[in-house]
Amino acid sequence: MTKKIDNNNKQPISVSKDEDWKSKYLRALADYRNLEKRTIEEKYEIKTRAAANFILKLLPVVDILEKVEKNVHDEGLELALKQLREMFKIEGLEKIEVVGKRFDPYVMECIEVVEAESEGQVAEELRRGYAYKGKIIRVAQVKVGRKKEEIKNKETVNT
Amino acid sequence: MAKVIGIDLGTTNSAVAVMEGGSPKIIYSSEGRNVIPSIVDPIKHIIGDVAKRQMVVNPKSTVFSVKRLMGRKYNDKSVQKDTEWLPYTIKSGREGMAVIEIGGKTFTPQEISAMILQKIKADAEAYLGGKITEAVITVPAYFDDSQRQATKQAGEIAGLTVKRILNEPTAASLAYGLDKKHAHTVAVYDLGGGTFDISILELGEGVYEVKSTNGDTHLGGDDFDRRIMDYFADDFKKEHGVDLRKDPQALQRLKDSAEKAKIELSSSLETEINLPFITQGKDGPLHMVFKLTRAKLENIVSDLIESTIKPVEAALKDAKMTKDKIDEIVMVGGMTRMPRVFQLVKEFFGKEPNRTVNPDEVVAIGAAVQAGVLTGEVKDVVLLDVTPLTLGVETLGGVMTPLIKRNTTVPTSKSEIFSTAADNQTSVEINILQGERPMAGDNKSLGRFILDGIPPAPRGVPQVEVSFDIDANGILNVSAKDKATGKTQSIKIMGSTGLSKDEIDKMTKEADEHAADDTSKKEKIEAKNKADNLIYVAEKSLKDAGDKVPADIKKEVEEKIAAVKTLTDASTKDEIEEKTKDLSETLQKIGQSMYQQQQQQKQGEDEPPVEEKPEKEKEEKNNDKKNKGSKKENVQEGEVVDS
Repeated sequence: MTKKIDNNNKQPISVSKDEDWKSKYLRALADYRNLEKRTIEEKYEIKTRAAANFILKLLPVVDILEKVEKNVHDEGLELALKQLREMFKIEGLEKIEVVGKRFDPYVMECIEVVEAESEGQVAEELRRGYAYKGKIIRVAQVKVGRKKEEIKNKETVNT
Repeated sequence: MAKVIGIDLGTTNSAVAVMEGGSPKIIYSSEGRNVIPSIVDPIKHIIGDVAKRQMVVNPKSTVFSVKRLMGRKYNDKSVQKDTEWLPYTIKSGREGMAVIEIGGKTFTPQEISAMILQKIKADAEAYLGGKITEAVITVPAYFDDSQRQATKQAGEIAGLTVKRILNEPTAASLAYGLDKKHAHTVAVYDLGGGTFDISILELGEGVYEVKSTNGDTHLGGDDFDRRIMDYFADDFKKEHGVDLRKDPQALQRLKDSAEKAKIELSSSLETEINLPFITQGKDGPLHMVFKLTRAKLENIVSDLIESTIKPVEAALKDAKMTKDKIDEIVMVGGMTRMPRVFQLVKEFFGKEPNRTVNPDEVVAIGAAVQAGVLTGEVKDVVLLDVTPLTLGVETLGGVMTPLIKRNTTVPTSKSEIFSTAADNQTSVEINILQGERPMAGDNKSLGRFILDGIPPAPRGVPQVEVSFDIDANGILNVSAKDKATGKTQSIKIMGSTGLSKDEIDKMTKEADEHAADDTSKKEKIEAKNKADNLIYVAEKSLKDAGDKVPADIKKEVEEKIAAVKTLTDASTKDEIEEKTKDLSETLQKIGQSMYQQQQQQKQGEDEPPVEEKPEKEKEEKNNDKKNKGSKKENVQEGEVVDS
């Protein structure tokens, strides 16, 4: 008799312990599965991001070369830049067209507001924005136009 | 069960982390960044980096630093002070609370903060792939009840049940596990983008109590950037007579460069600022090239850094403590990466501050740890051990061949195929080793056993599968199986992971110290093994070819074999390699002459002159304890280092 009672008492405890382990195991397994899925995504991400990081470091040099191009007309330089741009295109690096478009903070950053005919449009591109494999890696820096009367209220903000 | 996220809702930037597999992990924003700028355009509902980019266009509708207004009355002295410099309109709202007015609409700071939290929530949901409904949010230690309530409301507006409002310094301490280290008193030095906070904490009954706080609500990384910028701009003005600060485009480039220079000088001693075509001068474009050294930077900002010490002293005084009573110091905020800041704090306390966790992420990580404690995930976590040192077997020439690399999470198992080192070798000895050194003798032997009964065969032919298996309790099971006969031997080693921390440190340190020496030793042994192997191949070729080899070639090969055999342990690696190469080249002559003969016989049997052994097969160290009849000359190799 006593034995039986003992057993009855024991049973639920061990069952709940098993359940406990089972849930922990299932949770660990689920965590693992999710990790696996994410690892695959991340691997692709890392690959593109690694390339993007390098390109990002390269872009300031391209900016300078393009500024030089504007100031100095040299055929050799123009050829070199042309080749560079073609290479960028093949590799999936594209420049974002901004001039004349509406200001869009998702792909542009406003540096200055200037007087202009049309309101809220990009008046000038200061630094090119680029997308790599369809993803924005550097936003364009632009001047945004504003009609004359409104500019009075302009305030410069330093962040 | 749904996850609870930990959120650091900051003045300048916010961050979010979650417990995953028992350890906290930062969640990256949809823009791929570890922090989100705490900036909101509530009209257009734009948050974070995107909102920051349109600040100049919409200065009056872009809200930043909203944390400064949280739960404060409009008449509050600090709000009054902030109204002066914040570009958006601040008004008195219900019950005199500070509210923001944009385009005729009013927003409470809670609503603005809620938008930041909503973005955080959305990013976390995208990352975790499930709904998030609960969070732990951190606040500065000096936040009063009203400010804490406001933060909680912000969470609720964003659809998050706030499980706990946690003090930022406490979160930072949790991130370092200081509660488990039983650090009694902790000083948290937090120099962020726009604010400086110092908090003194005391641990009592498992809970951190904030003893005192102090700081400067308007001191941070931005001030440092501005100093650097001014320094450049002044210098440029002196040289070219142009004030770059008046040209927004130049100013932006200068601002970016100043911040970049500051970051670079945390790891290098000198950096160059290179801004071609920075502006237009009278005689054409002007360029800016500037060298900045760490020493100069420290000079420029020294008073800013020094000014943090006074609040630290005041906080200590309020806590009725002296600096030598502080057990641990925790560094928070990106600015603490600056070597001079770290140095100053270290000198002040006379102790090394904690800084291994990314100072931008440490508060969010601590919040995630707290979230994990609340859900029971932290307490319940199954601690999976790792093997502290590499485990492997001894192979030919006394080389340590690793099977399970150090820091592998257990339970785990690994197997590899080995072979014999001599002809007709019928037994192999498995010597189980632990350590990081390439030579067997320098590592610790955990045990050894012999697998015998291998059918006699030429060297390299038998396949012995050696398996290592460590279970969750750290018990190592090593077995060796002869693939031909299926014969198996095994050994169980208890506590293969149970080394004391000192032992592990010592062994790891030794490995580092001897790395170069060990590698050359190992390379030499490998060269010697190759030489021995070649002798074997050469002798076999001579024997197999028999009379087909012209006498002169045979003689030459024998001479070369003898030359390689004269090599001893004293010979250098280059010597060994040179003589081996010599023999290898001579050996080809056997093949050549045989092919010539074959051509005469038209088509004969095709036997390559030199048989290279498959690379993958590592030869098990020859053991001749049982194999007394072993007559091959290279047997002694295995014994040389056997100690």
